[in-house]
Amino acid sequence: MKTTRREFCALGAAALVGLSLKSDRAIAGEFVNDSFQMGHMLRDRRQFPAPRQIVRIPLVIAGGGMAGLSAAWRLQKRGFTDFVLLEMNQQPGGNSRWGENQITRYPWAAHYVPVPGKEAEYVRELFTDLGVFKDGKWDERYLCFDPQERLYVHGRWQEGIEPEAELTPGDREQFRRLGDLMQAFRASGGFTVPLEIGISQRHAELDRLSFAEWLTKNGFNSRPLLWYMNYACRDDYGALAADTSAWAGVHYLSSRQKEEKGPLTWPEGNGWIARQLLARVGKFVRTDQMVYRIQRERNLFRVFAGDTEYRCDCVVFAAPTFLAPYLIDNTPQLHDFHYSPWLTANLTLDSIPDTHGGAPAWDNVVMDSPTLGYVDAMHQSLRTFADRTVWTFYWALAEGAPGANRQLLLEKDWSYWKEAILTDLERVHKDIRKCVSRIDIMRMGHAMVRPAVGSIFSPERSRIKRAADRLYFANSDLSGISIFEEAQYHGVTAAERALHALSH
Amino acid sequence: MAVLLFISVLLIAACGLIYELIAGTVASYLVGDSVFQFSTVIGSYLFAMGIGSFLSRYIHRGLAWRFVFIELVVALVGGFSSALLFLAFAFTQGFPIFLYLIVIVLGILVGLEIPLLMRIIRHRYHFREVVSHVLTFDYIGALFASILFPVVLVPYLGLVKSALFFGIVNAAVALWSTFLFKTQIPYPRRLQVLCGIVIVLLVAGLANGKRITGLAEENIYADEIIFSRDTHYQHIVLTRWKDDLRLFLNSHLQFSSRDEYRYHEALVHPGLSAVSTPRRVLVLGGGDGLAVREVLKYPQVESVTLVDLDPEMTRLFSTHPFLTALNQKAFLSPKVHIINADAFLWLDSSPEIFDFIIVDFPDPTNYSLGKLYTTVFYSALRRHLSQQGFFVVQSTSPMFARKSFWCIVETVQQAGFSTYPYHVYVPAFGEWGYVLAGEHEYQPPQSLPRGLRFLTTAGLHGMFDFPPDMAQVPMPANHLNDQVLVRTYDHEWREISH
Repeated sequence: MKTTRREFCALGAAALVGLSLKSDRAIAGEFVNDSFQMGHMLRDRRQFPAPRQIVRIPLVIAGGGMAGLSAAWRLQKRGFTDFVLLEMNQQPGGNSRWGENQITRYPWAAHYVPVPGKEAEYVRELFTDLGVFKDGKWDERYLCFDPQERLYVHGRWQEGIEPEAELTPGDREQFRRLGDLMQAFRASGGFTVPLEIGISQRHAELDRLSFAEWLTKNGFNSRPLLWYMNYACRDDYGALAADTSAWAGVHYLSSRQKEEKGPLTWPEGNGWIARQLLARVGKFVRTDQMVYRIQRERNLFRVFAGDTEYRCDCVVFAAPTFLAPYLIDNTPQLHDFHYSPWLTANLTLDSIPDTHGGAPAWDNVVMDSPTLGYVDAMHQSLRTFADRTVWTFYWALAEGAPGANRQLLLEKDWSYWKEAILTDLERVHKDIRKCVSRIDIMRMGHAMVRPAVGSIFSPERSRIKRAADRLYFANSDLSGISIFEEAQYHGVTAAERALHALSH
Repeated sequence: MAVLLFISVLLIAACGLIYELIAGTVASYLVGDSVFQFSTVIGSYLFAMGIGSFLSRYIHRGLAWRFVFIELVVALVGGFSSALLFLAFAFTQGFPIFLYLIVIVLGILVGLEIPLLMRIIRHRYHFREVVSHVLTFDYIGALFASILFPVVLVPYLGLVKSALFFGIVNAAVALWSTFLFKTQIPYPRRLQVLCGIVIVLLVAGLANGKRITGLAEENIYADEIIFSRDTHYQHIVLTRWKDDLRLFLNSHLQFSSRDEYRYHEALVHPGLSAVSTPRRVLVLGGGDGLAVREVLKYPQVESVTLVDLDPEMTRLFSTHPFLTALNQKAFLSPKVHIINADAFLWLDSSPEIFDFIIVDFPDPTNYSLGKLYTTVFYSALRRHLSQQGFFVVQSTSPMFARKSFWCIVETVQQAGFSTYPYHVYVPAFGEWGYVLAGEHEYQPPQSLPRGLRFLTTAGLHGMFDFPPDMAQVPMPANHLNDQVLVRTYDHEWREISH
């Protein structure tokens, strides 16, 4: 048989296609859990269709994140069941949402809770309920397995995230001095989790300057130390040290006792807590129900969500507080609530990338990367052999103005972020592209509240916190710090206040 | 004539480079850090060649016979260099001294060769031609050697034989030179005899190359490999030397058929014989079926469940004739149920109860395996243990990894069990340790199954006694969130291997 030139060319082209497929493996994925469309409807004050039914109920919780779910947990424990929880997304959980594929469950955002100290009374109560804390001991299955964290620095992995490799004596001296200063702050009792327990005017002056300024003022200029401080602020607040209140920076470093080797974590991160709570209070939860208006009428609230109008005596507002002016009639604009934009991605790995000697850890950070590294969802598995896994990649867009970064999140397509993520990971895992089969990306314009300078002791914030007219705010942003314990604290507190109001 | 002359230049150059490559490779192979080894070997070799070239100015007369003589010394030193290096590594502390001594001696001698040769033949050609030809063939020889070495020599001849082979080539060039330069050599006969002796020596070395390697090379796979497979989970290698069958998983020796009965009798019987009516037994790990073989010596045992991760491993030990002979077809017994699963996950999901549990996992060499030696793991065993039940844990060596051993004891205790640690001597492993544990008191058994080759009731008591060099040391327990054991184990075995 003779091959014509046309056939030959076709064969050649096919061969080329085959080759290119082989050399650049297709990676699937998409944007998931987008919610900005709904947010923008509120922002633009769009008209919503008139409700088709009216439900009379004593209490409505708006928002099904950790604050809302914790409020529901508290109400149920108090024997109060006459309420609904309205969640705008299909999946409740907020920043504790999780995903699942054929390999493992994995987190979409919050992925651990430090072992709670004595002050975190409600957290300890919850963990006792969930069997995590039993007979005065933490269940070891839920404490982060060894090795917990590693940092890629000077071309290799070191154990732990605090830089240790190749420090100069000067660096060491500064780390030690910072440790001493933080120990003194800790001993002062002014920095606690939840923050409400210990906060006092004594340290209010720290809220008037940025953490970066505070570090400079106190003579800290070691490069690894400053990197670490910036990393801490990006990790917990989504902001650079220069954009973070010094009070919040100090709080990060001095609010916890180092007693238990933790933190508490699960393959799906705090999604595990969300799942446990939903197993108990799921029956009160209505998903896909975006609250789009809350109207106060004498002794009644009219809460509009989806096709229903709820008429209730009390509202627990557990959604992010910045939404209040768009939802609640006659609420003035807020000025002291700032939020950091984030991007998280879950990477499905069909094989495990080369780790170059270092034992793979739970949290893996690369020094001088703009991102926060990745967390391995299989780390907390009891399996002794894992050949596939899911990595959750964290990226707080901390450099630059939050508004501009939100715009960037909206404008750039999935391929852009996919490439950015792979390029970042390629610094330490050259073979990453060969291992990844899927990258799902979640964009969050207002991922977490940002403790900007002046925001912790802001009068506006304390006014909102104290609101006492049967509408109680409950989001973690009341503290100015977006962590599980704060969300739970405000959720429980709001529930208690609502119960008190209802019984009078 | 001219062509033959320049071919001998080519061969000399090739030999010189081969010795250098061999020294670098042997050093990398034995000591590691190949970049360092190759850099320093090449550097010192080239420098020594410079010394040789410099020294050549002090040789005024008898150039030709001296050249032949140098060739012969190079042939001897270079030919035996690889064997010498292996022996030096195996039997002395001073490997680097031997390495650089050999490299420098060879370098100086090879450095002498070319200047001498050029002077010998300078009257036959124009100086221009001499330099051009000699250096051309010198470099061609280098290319020839550098390709031959990795493609042919290392894979087919090995390092010891390659060196000897090129030693012979070197000596042959020396012999050939006595004919080439016979007009310039006073007593060619004597030199030719000397060449003959050197060649005989090298050929004898070549014939015994394997013995030299066997003597020196502490290669773990020195024996014949009869099975080798990369499964999904591990690298399985089976070797045999005469009647000694050895199993390696990821290069770690699992057993030697010569003394495995010691290990497995000691693993199973002290505990199992102490259970009054053992009906159901669980083996975790132990995919070789050797522990199961011991368990099947109890007729009361109705069922043995074996949980091993790797199906290839259990299949191999169910089918391979050598191996089924060794485990006495344990896996073919109708009492035995094989489950290929991750042991921890299986324990967590299974409701089954057992009278005796054998925990026979690889040593805690990494954090993944370390999970199988934690308080949580041993606590998980409790749900599977009957009222009269005991379990036993293979617990590495209380001699070589003393802290690790006592760390395992402490971990089992903190999981809420009474522990009864013991140890035996297994020649292939050295002193080896086990931890027997249960929720009630243990009394060593009054009788053992018949036909054991090692264990006796009288000998049992001594096993529970730990002499001072293995006696208990205080250690914290191993936890999932703080794997002290893995760090300790790594540290202890590293100290021994250095």
